[in-house]
Amino acid sequence: MRIIGPDYLVFGVDDLEGSKTYLEDFGLTPVQLDETGWLYETLDGTGVIIRHRDDPRLPVPLQTKNMLRQQVYGVEDAATLDAIEAEMSKDRRVTRLSDGGLEFRDDLGFELRFQVTIRRELSMPAEKINAPGAPAQRAANELGVTDDMAALPRTLSHVVLFVPDIDKMVSFFCDRLGFVITDVLSGAGPFLRPAANDDHHTHFFIRTPAYMQGCEHLAFHMGGPTELMVAGDRFVRKGYQSFWGPGRHKFGSNWFWYFNSPLGCHFEYDADMDKHDDTWVAREAPNGPEASQMFLLQWREKWAPGGGPEGGSGTP
Amino acid sequence: MSAGQLRLCHRDDVPEGAARGFLPRPGAARNVIVVKREGRLHGYIDSCPHYRGGTPMAWRRDAYLNGDGTHLACHAHGALFDIETGACVSGPCLGRKLTRVPLSEAPDGSISVPAQVAGRAAREG
Repeated sequence: MRIIGPDYLVFGVDDLEGSKTYLEDFGLTPVQLDETGWLYETLDGTGVIIRHRDDPRLPVPLQTKNMLRQQVYGVEDAATLDAIEAEMSKDRRVTRLSDGGLEFRDDLGFELRFQVTIRRELSMPAEKINAPGAPAQRAANELGVTDDMAALPRTLSHVVLFVPDIDKMVSFFCDRLGFVITDVLSGAGPFLRPAANDDHHTHFFIRTPAYMQGCEHLAFHMGGPTELMVAGDRFVRKGYQSFWGPGRHKFGSNWFWYFNSPLGCHFEYDADMDKHDDTWVAREAPNGPEASQMFLLQWREKWAPGGGPEGGSGTP
Repeated sequence: MSAGQLRLCHRDDVPEGAARGFLPRPGAARNVIVVKREGRLHGYIDSCPHYRGGTPMAWRRDAYLNGDGTHLACHAHGALFDIETGACVSGPCLGRKLTRVPLSEAPDGSISVPAQVAGRAAREG
């Protein structure tokens, strides 16, 4: 099945105005969908849809207080939608929408929607670096950083879910929808990617009690580690709360920086994730600080050493 | 303000029904959350008990309440806490509590906390 990954995640929020400000400051572009709904999109058109939690246009809520209402997945073609419909219709109600999309519920009660992907093809350079021994990636006089450099989320990368039954979730995504496991953090859960996406993961499942079921975080790919740092630094300076990072994960190799949000889950900037094909053999490591990251840093106010000791320019 | 106390704010710095975070000492690892409800002030360390060591709860500076303003909220995973007791009523740390901080009010309305709160905030940081 040629599933690509998440096009949109839909949330029913209790602070609509706060959420709108948050998503725009995070670097997403608002598109009003109707009188009560907004899409906040990345550069390729994927993103987050929000409505007030009482909006009747929303899918039904989870049993928990988590604000995630629906995961919308993009697929390559109509044939994939037909294949998904045939498979899912074996044991559940599948709604075929007027635009050709499909809606149904997974085995744990998460609302899903599948559609021919809306993502626009991006054509922009990755972050370029120069290193001895390799051809320079930036031309002479081409600068690596500027004060006004763009640092905007390019695409919705992955979603991480708190799930009370990992085995049920894995067999649903792998056996029924053709996802593969790329790595496993034992004690937490597996990383998954769908057939039509070579990113290390579009999904990560974390085992939790049933009262926590929902979205733990969603992540957006940036153009490289510098863009991630610049975007995160700007976000902190606007008063937003860092949760974890910046740092670099081991599984997936992606740089990360997580922030609290008024959507009741974390928002992550990520960059430079590994790519895999079907020859990859999944690794397994016990979940914890060592396996989670190659290194972990923490934001601080800008500071610079001065002439010192008496001419110092600030406190360390 | 008596010795051994750290001044956080003036009682009027926190509007009715709102919450704000104040560092008990410059460079402290954690804010003290001061929330005002029906004229009464409550203080808690800005440290959600979901994970050992605690994590900061706001989504933006001073944004400690849920959208309806009925509860203190951790905007890491959506836990809700009773404003009067600090008890988690929903979310990942169900059954646990925020760490309450005793607030002292001087005749001029200055709000302060015991100096050891800065140490406690550092340990939870």
